[in-house]
Amino acid sequence: MRKLLILLLATLAPAPALAANQVALDNSVFVERVTTDASGKQRVLLEEPKVVVPGDRLVFVLNYRNAGGEPADKFVITNPMPSAVRFAGAGDASPIVSVDGGKAWGALDTLSVIQPDGTRRPAQPADVTHIRWAFQKPIPAGGSGKVMFRGVVK
Amino acid sequence: MPGAKDQHLESKIMVKAPVGGARHHTLLLPSSTVALAVALMTPMPAQAAGTLAGTTISNTASASFDNGSGNQTINSNTVDMRVDEVLDVVVADQATDVPTTPGATNQVLTYRVTNTGNGPEAFALGTIANVGGDDYDPVVAQIYIDANNNGTYDAGTDTLYVAGSESALQPDATMTVFVLATTPGSVADGNRGIVTLVAAAKTGTGAPGTAFAGLGEGGGDAIVGSTGADGQDNGNFLVSAATVSLVKSATIVDPFGGSEPVPGAIITYTITATVAGSGSVSGLAINDNIPADTAYVAGSITLGGSPLTDAADADAGDFNGTRIHIGLGTVAGGQTRTVTFRTRIN
Repeated sequence: MRKLLILLLATLAPAPALAANQVALDNSVFVERVTTDASGKQRVLLEEPKVVVPGDRLVFVLNYRNAGGEPADKFVITNPMPSAVRFAGAGDASPIVSVDGGKAWGALDTLSVIQPDGTRRPAQPADVTHIRWAFQKPIPAGGSGKVMFRGVVK
Repeated sequence: MPGAKDQHLESKIMVKAPVGGARHHTLLLPSSTVALAVALMTPMPAQAAGTLAGTTISNTASASFDNGSGNQTINSNTVDMRVDEVLDVVVADQATDVPTTPGATNQVLTYRVTNTGNGPEAFALGTIANVGGDDYDPVVAQIYIDANNNGTYDAGTDTLYVAGSESALQPDATMTVFVLATTPGSVADGNRGIVTLVAAAKTGTGAPGTAFAGLGEGGGDAIVGSTGADGQDNGNFLVSAATVSLVKSATIVDPFGGSEPVPGAIITYTITATVAGSGSVSGLAINDNIPADTAYVAGSITLGGSPLTDAADADAGDFNGTRIHIGLGTVAGGQTRTVTFRTRIN
């Protein structure tokens, strides 16, 4: 029996293992399971999957916490896309992405991909290889937060 | 609001190889770095079937920061998910109508069976010949698998399908299946006969979402996909037959300018062969014996108004002393052939 959690509850209960430097990053992945109840209403449940199938919609949540005594400056979170997952957006807090394995970065609509014939085409979500959140302000001592993105199992 | 560029951090991006030892792990390169190198050389193959069953998807993020003692990088925990096997199959008939003729044997219908699931799967094959919606039931003799993948049935080369000894079809792979059938002799021109080929996953079929615990590739579950893990399509035979009708008529011209059958009168026979139907007849020939008490008028055979010689030679007609013969060969439906010859009443 898998444990069903709604996203809100899940994100309120991060359990990062604190590293020696007192900054922790906790990674959770949920799959959206759509169920239909007796009255025909659809409910989306977020479930922590052990197994997935192609087409499953995943929500990746990264909780960060600075438990140290000093602010963490130049804070950057990078998540390489698993190769079997297609990027499907990151909500309002649009991160910068890379479509070339981490060499060039930018908003998705500013990037392009070289095609086999040498020409370039605009990058698509499926091209994303890395996602990055670069924080402009330091994370204060004791500060925490989360970022998320979505993906679909290829 | 994020968005700043920290170019100096790029070399610290962590690309962590996933853990897990699924059997087909190496088929889907798990490292983003390696996968990208491949992607730049050749476009990513279209993954109709999706990620291979048994693959482990691993996600690890990293964070870099400076809390006063220089740049540091930490990794998050790694989340692993195993990709379960989805059972899906699509069957597609390869021709709109396959022409056949009454009584013909080893008539071939061609289908393509594609494993649209994400794991290797064997499919049981079966046929339904009495589906309805047609004019007759083809008699299915055998099912063959295209052993040399040339899309054409090759007797003696292709593999006879034996239920229970199916071999696995790889994900995204397609096999060509031939159904050999006999067309009943009683069918008529324009009749249609349907044979349905059914392919069903050996692991199991059912409503989409049905799970077969532990039967998936790599020890996971096998889950019925949107196709129900079975598929079928109709192959159509269209009977193309032709019938021949012969009409023979005679006109008499007597030596006195009349039309009386008196000695010395010349009888002109006209034989019209009419071929009807959507098919054609081959080897059509007209033979007619010269009636008793009459004598053939030498050199009088015509075909379509053109004279033919009496010798058995390159032209279509000859007279051998007792009968005339005109070989018409293959004549398509809708065409007629008119032959005339003359005799004299003794």
